[in-house]
Amino acid sequence: MNQWLDERLHISRLNDKFLRKAFPVHHTFFIGEITLFSLIILILTGIILALSFEPSNAMVVNSFDPGTPADPNLVPAAYHSALKINALPFGDMFRRIHHWCANIMVAAAVLHMMRIYFTGAYKKPRELNWWIGMLLLIFSALTAVTGYALPYDNYAYNTLKEIYAITASVPWVGPWLAEFAFAGRFPGEGIIPRFYGYHIMLLPGILLALTAAHMLIMIKQKHTQPQYAKRIAYKKIVGVPLITQQTPIMIMLALLFAAIVILFSAYVPVHPVEHYGPPSSQPIEGIKPDWYLLWVFGLLAIIPNTLSFDLLGGHFSAEFIGALVLPMLVIGLMFAVPMLDRAKDNMYYAENPTNHPHRLAAGIAFLALLIVWSVAGYKGELVANGYLPSASANAILWGLSFLIPAIAYGLTLAYVSAIRRLRTADEREQERAMVYGHDD
Amino acid sequence: MTRYKVKDPELTRRRFINVATGATATVGVMSLLGTLGGAHPMFRMTEDKKPPMEGDILVHADPAKEGTPITVADLGTTLVQAWPMGTDAEGNKIIRKGEPNNLLAVYKFAAGELSGEANVEATIDGQVVAYSDICTHAGCPVPDAKDGNGMFCPCHSGQYAPKQGGIVVGGPPPHKLAQLPIVAEGDNVKVAGFFLTPPYPYTDEATWEATKEAAKGA
Ligand code: HEM
Ligand code: FES
Repeated sequence: MNQWLDERLHISRLNDKFLRKAFPVHHTFFIGEITLFSLIILILTGIILALSFEPSNAMVVNSFDPGTPADPNLVPAAYHSALKINALPFGDMFRRIHHWCANIMVAAAVLHMMRIYFTGAYKKPRELNWWIGMLLLIFSALTAVTGYALPYDNYAYNTLKEIYAITASVPWVGPWLAEFAFAGRFPGEGIIPRFYGYHIMLLPGILLALTAAHMLIMIKQKHTQPQYAKRIAYKKIVGVPLITQQTPIMIMLALLFAAIVILFSAYVPVHPVEHYGPPSSQPIEGIKPDWYLLWVFGLLAIIPNTLSFDLLGGHFSAEFIGALVLPMLVIGLMFAVPMLDRAKDNMYYAENPTNHPHRLAAGIAFLALLIVWSVAGYKGELVANGYLPSASANAILWGLSFLIPAIAYGLTLAYVSAIRRLRTADEREQERAMVYGHDD
Repeated sequence: MTRYKVKDPELTRRRFINVATGATATVGVMSLLGTLGGAHPMFRMTEDKKPPMEGDILVHADPAKEGTPITVADLGTTLVQAWPMGTDAEGNKIIRKGEPNNLLAVYKFAAGELSGEANVEATIDGQVVAYSDICTHAGCPVPDAKDGNGMFCPCHSGQYAPKQGGIVVGGPPPHKLAQLPIVAEGDNVKVAGFFLTPPYPYTDEATWEATKEAAKGA
């Protein structure tokens, strides 16, 4: 059969070019693959969900609790269909798997980026893939947020309202932009159909295109090689080929991953729509966004409302500055990483993080900052439970936003220099042993 | 004989293609923008989306009693949420909850307790007072604080003092809660006019004025 196909499709060329791509063997190199598996599971479970989901926020009678003919119990059709999906065999399970995978996909992407950052793999010639990776991260977060909106329960409703307010806070064009993106003034009749379109067509299309570009560039440029490759065969690509060695590893990893996700989904519910109920005028106590947006939420909590001004007829509100300007700066900084730290020659080998203490320390300080801001997202709870005084909570949290990253930076440097001292001591010891022989 | 001076044909051809590409691209982008405009639907101010109007009756927003008119006896120092209910051209009763920002907060305080920026003229006997119940920060509905100290927005910890005219006493909200002028109608509560200041989501007087005009005209 191979020959039959080869004569028609020249698959042996495909084989030489792509299927024999060498994959380095190191556990950190598998995190990117986990991101890919999550995307695949998301698409599969998403298609299954889409078969039963009803993308409409028109009000329908809740068939599970119809009320009386005179006073029917009306709920949005999307919410109703989420309840119906929950009642299908394995329906709730599919929703949970889809939802867990969305979280895991973002988490895996973040960990994957940390590996790239700490080993300097973003340097020439791989800047392009760093930028594509950033876009993938942003678009997967967007996809997850639009997905949240779909069941149109009270949680989704409140989240949408908040995002609408943020969009409308853009100076000059805000209200127009918000109505454009949300299909009319919130909550317009078209909001769920519109978000359905975003979530299952537009954004997955973008994600798939970006993923394809990411993979092709990776195959063309090859992975950075782990340090052990330098010792085995200098300047040669070391690793196991995609076909046949890497494939079983990947399949095993994918199955293991799927098994873990399903196990999680079986025991840990996410987004129980019936718990939140249909959209209502009641806010949700302590509502928080997903963990990867918590830092923006925290920023909004500590940005002073006096920070607003008018310029050339546009209103720059604290909301705009906290939810859009500052996060853009943070994201811009991440985009700029390959421009801030460059290599003259093409990189072959992943760098040992401890050989670049300042980069390592800066990365850890950056993570520390995001964690401080995420904690600030719990300001309400911290104040309510007496951990923070109400009056100076903002000042304290802003202070910590500078202090904790600075401490993290210093500690990392100290730690790295300790490691290096040990290492050089070790080397000296070895040299001595080589020259004079062992004491024993 | 005339001698033709032949221009370099390569150059003109390239120019032609550039101009043609530019022109088609411009036309294409413009028509695309036109179709994108369709993604932005027109806003129609239907009766259920109008802001609270003069003559509206306040009805309960609590799902258990939704639609029953509020009586002064229902009110107290704990929050009662309300929708304005008006009538359409045919005289049908319409609860104006198509615009979720129409949610109202109604309180009844002891005489003399209202102070600060509260407009006593716009209350019933200086006791019953109505505000927009929508946080001016990002539009969450605002419940009573758990510690009994005014109102507390759970979204980003905005705090309001309903006894002092709904002013902000903590957190990020940029404006106070807009007060709605009311009068008594029998046992019920009737709206006497538009909000006294722009309610959420209006950030400036001009758009709020335009909305009032549109509501009156429609
Ligand atoms: C690629 C990344 C994707 C992410 C991050 C993502 C994320 C989400 C999230 C968080 C939800 C809310 C689930 C719930 O609360 O039950 C959701 C719902 C949904 N997603 Fe996705 N999704 C992705 C891809 C897809 C794809 C490719 C499809 C379809 C082809 C899809 C179809 C759906 C549908 C129909 C729902 C509504 C299900 C329901 O709640 O009943 N998703 N998605
Ligand atoms: S919406 Fe009320 S404080 Fe932000």
